[in-house]
Amino acid sequence: MSNTTVTPVLELRRATKNYAGVPAIEDIDFSLMPGEIHSIVGENGAGKSTLTKVMAGVVNLSSGTMLVNGQEVNPKTPNDALALGIAMVFQETSLVPTMTVAQNLFLGQERYFNRLRGIYIEAQQFMQSLQFDVDPTAVVSLLGAAKKQMVEIARAVLHNATVIIFDEPTASLTPEEKKYFFDLVIALKARGVSVIFISHAIEEALQVSDRITILRDGKRVVTDDKANFDRARIVQTMVGRDLSQTHYGQRKTTVRPQGKRVLSVQNLRMAAMVKNNSLSVFAGQITGVFGLVGSGRTETFKVVAGIIKRDFMHGGEVILNDKPVRYFVPASAVRDGIAYVTEDRKLEGFFETKSIADNIYLGLLAKIRSARTFVSRQEADKAGEHWIKRLNIRAIGKEVKAIELSGGNQQKVVIAKSLIQEPELIIFDEPTRGVDVGAIAEIHQLINQLADEGKAVVVISSYLPEIMSLSDRILVQSMGKVVEEYSALDATEEKIMYAAIH
Amino acid sequence: MIKAILRLKDKLLGRGDAAITVPVFDGALKPNNLLEDAAVFASLKSAQDLATDGQNLFVADGQRVLRYDADIAHELHHFEQPVTALACLLEGGLAVALAGREVRIVGGPHDGRQWTSIDGVAFSAVNAISLGSSGKLLVTDGSTEQPAENWKHDLMSRGATGRVCELTLSDGSLRTLATGLSHAFGVCNADGATWVSESWRHRVMSINAGERPTPVTDSLPGYPSRLSPASGGGYWLTCFILRTQLVEFVLREHTFRKRMMAEIEPQYWIAPALNSGNTFLEPMQGAHLKMMGVVKPWAPPRSYGLVIRLNASGDIVYSMHSRFDGKNHGVVAAVECQGHLYVLAKGCTSILRLSIADAERSLQA
Repeated sequence: MSNTTVTPVLELRRATKNYAGVPAIEDIDFSLMPGEIHSIVGENGAGKSTLTKVMAGVVNLSSGTMLVNGQEVNPKTPNDALALGIAMVFQETSLVPTMTVAQNLFLGQERYFNRLRGIYIEAQQFMQSLQFDVDPTAVVSLLGAAKKQMVEIARAVLHNATVIIFDEPTASLTPEEKKYFFDLVIALKARGVSVIFISHAIEEALQVSDRITILRDGKRVVTDDKANFDRARIVQTMVGRDLSQTHYGQRKTTVRPQGKRVLSVQNLRMAAMVKNNSLSVFAGQITGVFGLVGSGRTETFKVVAGIIKRDFMHGGEVILNDKPVRYFVPASAVRDGIAYVTEDRKLEGFFETKSIADNIYLGLLAKIRSARTFVSRQEADKAGEHWIKRLNIRAIGKEVKAIELSGGNQQKVVIAKSLIQEPELIIFDEPTRGVDVGAIAEIHQLINQLADEGKAVVVISSYLPEIMSLSDRILVQSMGKVVEEYSALDATEEKIMYAAIH
Repeated sequence: MIKAILRLKDKLLGRGDAAITVPVFDGALKPNNLLEDAAVFASLKSAQDLATDGQNLFVADGQRVLRYDADIAHELHHFEQPVTALACLLEGGLAVALAGREVRIVGGPHDGRQWTSIDGVAFSAVNAISLGSSGKLLVTDGSTEQPAENWKHDLMSRGATGRVCELTLSDGSLRTLATGLSHAFGVCNADGATWVSESWRHRVMSINAGERPTPVTDSLPGYPSRLSPASGGGYWLTCFILRTQLVEFVLREHTFRKRMMAEIEPQYWIAPALNSGNTFLEPMQGAHLKMMGVVKPWAPPRSYGLVIRLNASGDIVYSMHSRFDGKNHGVVAAVECQGHLYVLAKGCTSILRLSIADAERSLQA
């Protein structure tokens, strides 16, 4: 792919972007060839997002040049970039939640007179051509993360972009959906579209790319053909240290014994998502819950945590420590010792304009039964300092706003916000989605530590290696209920997938 | 008044006591085939209970009590009535319950002592006897209204007249430890406390003198029966029938249930059974019956085989199963003797024997 006679479709020379004088990317040279799939990998905070935002016109370079088909350009807005044929599919979806899928697809391309039915038909045909099973009439806010991602991808394809940048496109996709996605990427490549692919999943980068660029601390470390990389080299280059590979991909050889039954869900029903679901969670163990998107995993545990309500009539029972419970608000569940770490941290996990300390302190305030007239700045600062240290949150200080943190550190803030409540049952929903390899290791270590301390831990994940490496027992959910249970010692990826699909 | 309104609300909304829910077999209760694959030690049509003195196995079989020496049965006693419960005494001799209405000591220093009532109420369904602390016996009387063999009637009439009593061997005195139990079936001494199975409430309760009974293990997916000590601490608990949503539903439909009890033969009731599949007139057995991918609610399991190993705190450590498609169902007693577990599966009229070490090894594999 490193053919020097062909003009790169997109090129950056000595690209630097400073935020308040601090470089997020520095002197980066990057080139993308026509029809090339180029992966950019690096830890959170390495500068991947900034680099791609420069390309997509979201931010502007402080110094350096950008060329499209050999011509120097300076896109000021995403629309400018789109006019140059560069589209970006963001990690956190940028869809309008109150509009339908079809309306989102054609947003910005509306005709003077629009007929909704026509838009729906057109959108339906287009989605089908991509083999995306998404109802074009559905309101986006009601879609799961994977389907939102599909709409984002479809929107980029619809704009006939010659360069499409995918930021963590597979983080919320199930294995089947990932396969569709990779087929789509290969189809785009065949049409001459160049693809920039950002992922934390190194295996995916190795699988799909032609070339790989590795960034570290805002600088390009290496760009090379895929054939010259293996997993170990990528990891070592990314993090600049030898990282244990035990966190993803290795099976457990021992499991923790079952403690007291903390949670028993009996015949739970919640609309069409949870159908007569029953399961138990035990103290001192990590219970992994795997299932395809739409299998009702998140909804089941959101009912447990009081975030959504079960069916009004004959909705089943949730029994916490041998006592039936029915929560109308999450605060009651928090007081009873249930913590839910959300899968969508940006929407439900934290206040992005508040500081780390404030966010963590809010978790504590949620637990306190009596309303407080005054909150304590000192207490908030103390909590912030303690948890920044304990969870190794990488930030200049406790006053840094949550939005300014990388994905991995944001996730640690969300976890700290829950752990400060000293819960007995902790539910992690996709705990390492959009989190870099180094932070994944740290979060996994923390989850294991919680189980070792005797807490009942639930990990919901769509990523099988994560389920396999963390769980002591694995529950597989399909069509709204748990259909199979495995000890981590018996489980194989094939068995789990078979149960999830059939 | 408020309670009545709340009950009505629960009934309308299917909540609280009116929630037709059943706990799931998962974790340590995850089904296996250990019980189904166990060897048949003996086939006895009228076996009712098992006991051990640590060396030999004793079986109450109809009106007889048998002792097994190296797999060979010897008849020890023959009574005028069927033996419904059995226990070996430390000082020698046996305690037996006859037709559920009398507890009698045979052999040993207290030979001939007998009890037929307590607090002026006659025994009706004595179904388990166990050694208590310092020369005492613990006895469960399943119901004061129904005989032992009519457990199904007691379940369907939502009986709650069970009791647990303490009998003193030396002076013949007796004491009621608890009354108003929803079918007491199985008792044991647990470090000074008395553990009793309360079948219709799917739990094992701990009774301490002067304290309120507390649940040891609750929300069981089956109806618990007898308890016996296990080596290395902890206990064996058997579940003789299984809970299903259909039965839970029937138990809440009073009019239907009363009519069913009045008009239909007990063996054809929509109720759990010790065995199933004997006639097409029975409600359908087969939890696996599916149509259009949906398990049909009219075909829940009727019978099942389950033995649960509890630790000293009452937590479930592991379990042994004979599943819906098996035959070793209706397990009413399990005793440990010489490294083996002897299990009385009344549903198939067999005593099963399995090596505990082998079973634990296969569960860890």
